[in-house]
Amino acid sequence: MSFALGVLPVALLLLGFPIYIVLLAAVTVALVFFMNVPFAALHQNLFGAIDAFALLAVPFFIYAGELMGRGSVASRIVDLVQAGIGRLPGSLGVTTVGTSAIFGAISGASAATVATVGKAMLPAMRRANYPEPFAAGLITAVGAIDIIIPPSIPMIVYGMAAQESVPRLYAAGVLPGLLIAGMLAAYVVWYSKKHGFESGTPFSAAVFFRSMYRGIWALGAPLIILGGIYGGVFSPTEAAAVACVYAALVTWLVFRELGWREVVEAAATTVLFTGQVLIIVACAGVFAWLLTVNQVPAAMVAWLESMNISNWELLLAINVVLLAVGCFLDPLSSILLLTPLLIPMVKAAGIDTVHFGVVVAVNLAIGLFHPPFGINIFVAQSTLKLKLEVIYRGIVPFIFIYLAALMLITYVPEISLAGVKLFLRI
Amino acid sequence: MNALMKVLERALALAFIFAVCLNFTNVIGRYVVGRSIAGADEIQIYIMVAMAFLGAGLVAWRRNHLRMDILVRFFPQPTQKALRALEIGLVVLLAGFTLMQSARYAWQMAELGRASDMGSIPMWIPHGVVAVGFALILASVLRK
Repeated sequence: MSFALGVLPVALLLLGFPIYIVLLAAVTVALVFFMNVPFAALHQNLFGAIDAFALLAVPFFIYAGELMGRGSVASRIVDLVQAGIGRLPGSLGVTTVGTSAIFGAISGASAATVATVGKAMLPAMRRANYPEPFAAGLITAVGAIDIIIPPSIPMIVYGMAAQESVPRLYAAGVLPGLLIAGMLAAYVVWYSKKHGFESGTPFSAAVFFRSMYRGIWALGAPLIILGGIYGGVFSPTEAAAVACVYAALVTWLVFRELGWREVVEAAATTVLFTGQVLIIVACAGVFAWLLTVNQVPAAMVAWLESMNISNWELLLAINVVLLAVGCFLDPLSSILLLTPLLIPMVKAAGIDTVHFGVVVAVNLAIGLFHPPFGINIFVAQSTLKLKLEVIYRGIVPFIFIYLAALMLITYVPEISLAGVKLFLRI
Repeated sequence: MNALMKVLERALALAFIFAVCLNFTNVIGRYVVGRSIAGADEIQIYIMVAMAFLGAGLVAWRRNHLRMDILVRFFPQPTQKALRALEIGLVVLLAGFTLMQSARYAWQMAELGRASDMGSIPMWIPHGVVAVGFALILASVLRK
């Protein structure tokens, strides 16, 4: 059995087979050669893993982000953030951080933010003589906040895999997301002061209110999503659907930038993304069931107890594993493969699974832009026409900032759990 | 086959837009008239099931499934070709096996006349979609 559940999937994964095939091969070999269970269990678990209303939030949020990303939403948010910042060293860099954080509260897809915000901010930073590696590194790294700030797609998938409440996870992600944004902004200000970048124009109430008027519709999406969920009006799935309708109406009827054809095209893109991800969710569901019936998580917990390691050592070890995996695998696949194994250990150690969800998200966010294979690096390279070596050089300080934030978030659970108390009043 | 895939992609996109509208209508209905459409949640879930499995077929057609192929890129060309052949063989075996199991299950649902609890949707339809999805994956791999 250890061949089917351990050796085979690891070998196929390393040999570059599609992830759903890796999982399907493991479960099929286990069912056919090692277990005495009706083969119908394969279909029942494939279907059962997707037969969940909460999972609908994944395509809904992707669709809302797709619609918002196709119009001028990013440039409107850029204007608003810049007008609000006023005269500050590195105002363009700080605007990039602020815009990415707000855009993340709309879309939850990191690559889309890198491409959309990068297209708006990179030319402006070049004109202001920001060094190319610094601008490239900032744009590539800052998009990763989006999988920590709600609505985060990986957190929905983690919630499904760990059987944890998505509203609690979302509430827990707010302060860590803002902490990272704050740390990035502080670094940008320090760096800009050191290199004498221009500080932008002084704050003007007239300009700010004009930008607010242009950007107010864009800000409506995060307000609807978070206000709806924490005001007890919608479930996360309903909030996602309302965000889709809002995004379609704003980009179609208010901004007049999209037509019916683009609305359908955005839906077709969402269908393909859903096909890519949910087939892995389905196969991972069968894999997780196999692990459970073969008592693999229980054996791992027993092994962990025999090792007698402390919680901080456990979290450190998990961080190292997640960082390593995140450098090679996308966040959703990493969560689906590792959560069934990690959650029993984390629960046995008495670690809060909501706090742990945020730790997982931050680790995998770093993997999104960590050299050599972080997906955001390639998004920046292809959409912004940046050289790979320039991005690699520029990304280094931002990796250290994220690692410092990761340590804080890992070892000070209150940073995550304060958000749960604040938004859910528990 | 390309045209068929394009039609399927558009059909799923329209079904998805319908699911969004259904969800939105339910939210409005709950707050405005205090009622929601019976079986709406089931319809949305089954549309997502179709997007997951038929969508996986579309993704297989485009050879765009998520994988970790970083190491493989450094392998010599003949090794990469051998791995590709192995992958095709494995996908044919696994998709064929899963297709058989899912088709059998859907057939049983049809024979038993099972329907969903709220919307009375014949259950062979969503279960059959899983079989069709794996048939599409199989066809995509063989065709390519």
